[in-house]
Amino acid sequence: MAILDLEGIEKRFGGLKVIDGVTLEVDDGEILAVVGPNGAGKSTILKLIVGLEQPTRGSIRFQGRDITHLPTHRVRHLGIAMVEQTPRPFPTMTVLENVAVGALFGSPDTRTGEEAALAAGEEMLAFVGLADRRDDHIDNLNLHEQRFLELARALAGRPRLLLLDEVMAGLNESELRSSIDLVRTIRDELGITVIWIEHVMGAVVELAERVVVLDFGRIIADGTPHTVMRDPHVIEAYLGAAEGIVDA
Amino acid sequence: MTASILDGIVLGLQFGLLATGLTLMYGLGGILNLAYGQMAVVSAIVTVSIMEAGLPVVPAAAIGIAVGALLGFVLDQTVFRPLYSLRGEARVLLSLLLSLGVALMIDGFLNWLFPLKGLSLFIGGGAIDVFGEPMRRGSLLASGITIVAMGGLVAFFRFTTLGRAVRSVIEDEEGARLVGIDPRKMLRLILLLSGGIAGLVALTRSMVAPVDVTAGFGITVFALIVTVVGGLGSITGALAAGIILGVINAIAASAIGTFMSLVILLVAAAVTILVRPAGLLGVKE
Repeated sequence: MAILDLEGIEKRFGGLKVIDGVTLEVDDGEILAVVGPNGAGKSTILKLIVGLEQPTRGSIRFQGRDITHLPTHRVRHLGIAMVEQTPRPFPTMTVLENVAVGALFGSPDTRTGEEAALAAGEEMLAFVGLADRRDDHIDNLNLHEQRFLELARALAGRPRLLLLDEVMAGLNESELRSSIDLVRTIRDELGITVIWIEHVMGAVVELAERVVVLDFGRIIADGTPHTVMRDPHVIEAYLGAAEGIVDA
Repeated sequence: MTASILDGIVLGLQFGLLATGLTLMYGLGGILNLAYGQMAVVSAIVTVSIMEAGLPVVPAAAIGIAVGALLGFVLDQTVFRPLYSLRGEARVLLSLLLSLGVALMIDGFLNWLFPLKGLSLFIGGGAIDVFGEPMRRGSLLASGITIVAMGGLVAFFRFTTLGRAVRSVIEDEEGARLVGIDPRKMLRLILLLSGGIAGLVALTRSMVAPVDVTAGFGITVFALIVTVVGGLGSITGALAAGIILGVINAIAASAIGTFMSLVILLVAAAVTILVRPAGLLGVKE
């Protein structure tokens, strides 16, 4: 069953067509990777879904409900959370305070009290393995830890769909390992659907069940990682010529 | 000298508290509210009218503060509403014009309806010595109430998740929206809160000197200077700047004369901007 439906999405910035008619169904519980060259429109798609940008044309449905023009906080309340490439935790708050804000405001149940928000925050910090850093200041966290903090904050409102924008860029080997494991756990244990933009192809092949390739704002391939990586259109988009096989 | 400094601290505490309302409205919503002083005056006039009707001072003051808060809420729902679809500079500039219009209207109405009214909460009893200087009980009570209110405000923003949510919008509005916070709701809360703050400051101010119907613009100007020096969007900055400027104001008034004290304050504000463009503790853009 589809949890998210994009129907004929188009987005122009001035005269530039950044998204050019994207139609996409995302199944409940799948891990979908979105890949493509720089400027293909990947991040724009995520921003359109969460309402940070408004599509010029087309509609977006989440769990059967039209969310095309809802404001960002409403989209979040309905159950879609996003983590961006550059972590942006609130700088004057501790790790736990950051996550507690997500717990208190990230769900439709606004009656969650202070205590419950902090408890939910602790639970999510434990889930991502940052429990012992709860009282740290954000500056004491490295990039990898800040991303996990953002994941905890995103998960604290119990979303049904998680959007990840290149959250594995710039990580070392072991950090990459733990990130892949965490995303899989998020899906397996919390049952959250994941749409994930990524440049690290090794991670995509390992983790994604389905890959969508975007180029010039259009979907040029859609399938399992291995079939997509061998698709001549994809190879051309990446290399500019169909001369080699991208085999991660 | 000690007396001037103490007087300056009494005034500075009040204007520090007053400026938090202005700074929060700007930091959160990009709104420079020039009707802020009039909100304080409305609270004062409501309070004195209720007292004249025979109610004791405490309930009258409570109603006065509540009316201030309500006025903030009404402004949010009516006059400021068109602002929220604008962004950046356009919003700031239009808020300046709209709130100036509101200020002039309130001033006009108050002058027409209650030309001679003013609130003066006289606290009786003899003076109390502080550092060897006799201080009026009214000044001490006003300072005490102000400090408690400041403590409450700081605690709200530091220790409650709702307070942190307001801060998160000031620090990163888009990030706040992504975690499910509705910036409009936070702004509504802040307009309500700042209206209440304006009312409270009018009341404590009237324990030291009368607050009459013409006091509005004077209050706004002082609060604006304090806000700029403290850093737009910074609560602790506003509190610190209030006390510093209050002391400068009192010393200037006693050493040179009241007519020059506002000019000296403007100089102090200008110097602060030259040295620290974002103010003492301003939020960087």
